[in-house]
Amino acid sequence: MTYEIFTFGFMQRALTASIIIGALCSIIGVFVVLRGLSFIGAGTSHAAFAGVTFGYLTGVSPLGMAVLFGLGTVWIIHGLYQRGIMKLDVSIGMFYTFTMALAILFLGLMGTYNAEVYGFLFGSVLSVTAEDLTVMGWLASGVLALVLLFYKEFHFITFDQAMAEATGIAAGRFFFLLLNLIALTVVVSLKTVGALLVFAMIVIPAASAYQLGRTMLGMMGYAVVFGVGSAVGGVLLSYRFDLPSGATIVLLATALFFVAAALSPKRRTRAIVARP
Amino acid sequence: MTTNEDVIRFDRATIHYRDRVALHDITLGIRAGEFIGIIGPNGSGKTTLLKAILGLVPPVSGSVRVFDCACERLRCEHRARIGYLPQKDLVDPHFPITVAEAVMMGRYSSIGLFRYPGKADRAIVSEALTAVNMVAEAGTPLGELSGGQQQRVMIARALAQRPEVLLLDEPTTGIDTPTQHAIMELIRRLHRDLRLTILFVTHDINLISRVADRLILLNTRLFAAGPPSDVLRRDTLAQVYGKDIVVTDHGAAPYVIVGDHHA
Repeated sequence: MTYEIFTFGFMQRALTASIIIGALCSIIGVFVVLRGLSFIGAGTSHAAFAGVTFGYLTGVSPLGMAVLFGLGTVWIIHGLYQRGIMKLDVSIGMFYTFTMALAILFLGLMGTYNAEVYGFLFGSVLSVTAEDLTVMGWLASGVLALVLLFYKEFHFITFDQAMAEATGIAAGRFFFLLLNLIALTVVVSLKTVGALLVFAMIVIPAASAYQLGRTMLGMMGYAVVFGVGSAVGGVLLSYRFDLPSGATIVLLATALFFVAAALSPKRRTRAIVARP
Repeated sequence: MTTNEDVIRFDRATIHYRDRVALHDITLGIRAGEFIGIIGPNGSGKTTLLKAILGLVPPVSGSVRVFDCACERLRCEHRARIGYLPQKDLVDPHFPITVAEAVMMGRYSSIGLFRYPGKADRAIVSEALTAVNMVAEAGTPLGELSGGQQQRVMIARALAQRPEVLLLDEPTTGIDTPTQHAIMELIRRLHRDLRLTILFVTHDINLISRVADRLILLNTRLFAAGPPSDVLRRDTLAQVYGKDIVVTDHGAAPYVIVGDHHA
């Protein structure tokens, strides 16, 4: 591989997209992993994909529809949960499949094969346009700004939501905001990694960082290194060996997870403690 | 029974918890600086009483007033004046958080939105850690501590709120006896030195009867409130715990042996 590839416009865009997504997914992923919200993100990715297919079917902005469907699903799931109608995992499980059914329905109604739509399903980082990057950049900045602004509130509800509420923090509202930020993160990453794999980018780097971080901030630092590293590395490898980019990124992230787990000091302390 | 000096006042309050009556027609006043022990069998509404004071569960009838403010309308700065130690549940031993960070969370509400902890907050955290004798562990991951040490950290978090009232829900349950006594001694010292109003929920009647100014005996309704020697009478306790109860005179305070009251 020569340095020449870095001069190609599509490669520059692909790498920029990887860095944005690697960083954003990892930071949001820390909350997802610590708060045990993996399933909700997976559900959101299917909803966002249904939005994309609806957008292509009706000729409305696919990304706009992805935002609408993603957020809409989170609102409904949260509403059902808050009113005590359904346990969180049951309502997510329902919407997870319901939105996928919608996506399949919309795909069927389109009649003809549309490569762009399938790009959103499997991820196509090399086809990211300058316009995509602008939208991704704005959305990612918005999400990160909110995380920074409410860092201590998110920190508290992630550790102990009931206690946060008891001290007078609007814990329920911050939890709802967090769910929305997860949905937006999924939408931002949809085109690059694909609906089927996007959630791996949120969970895996944060799970690797969980093995190493001693504080939440430290864990975020590790997560960003793992996330950006596997996204950029995955793009370069997929180009070099002509592999599907989304899959390469996720497989690389998974490999890094096992390295982190093997090196984990937490695992070592546990082994020491377990000894009589 | 209630006076204007009360920091906490229940007036004919009925409170539901998960669609069931948890507390019925409670009238009770608690004065500043009192050390109150709250006793009663499982499911008698002890925890709900604390949650009502925190404003987390509003009364369906009657009123609960804290700092002369209707509890459900307590604004955040009022709630920050109440330190709360919930029943201990399992902390994820690998949650990435240090002791100092966990205590700092007690400051978050007072710091307010859009702001970060400052020098003054760090000073309060180290003061709180000093009070529970955990300064040396400030940088230690919380998960590496023993149950008793974690409980000290949670007390420090409540103290970091700079509370006037401290609500403790079974703080000595699930830890070994020497540690129980150490924590009891710590709470007693905080009560004395910081002039805190303390509400201490417990199963352990004999542990609390030696330190509390007053005991409150609950079983959905308020059965008794008064000095331990008045409340710990066989006929009073039998109304709540059933007939299998023995009260002996064990030195200064009565000693209570409760039979199987969980049925």
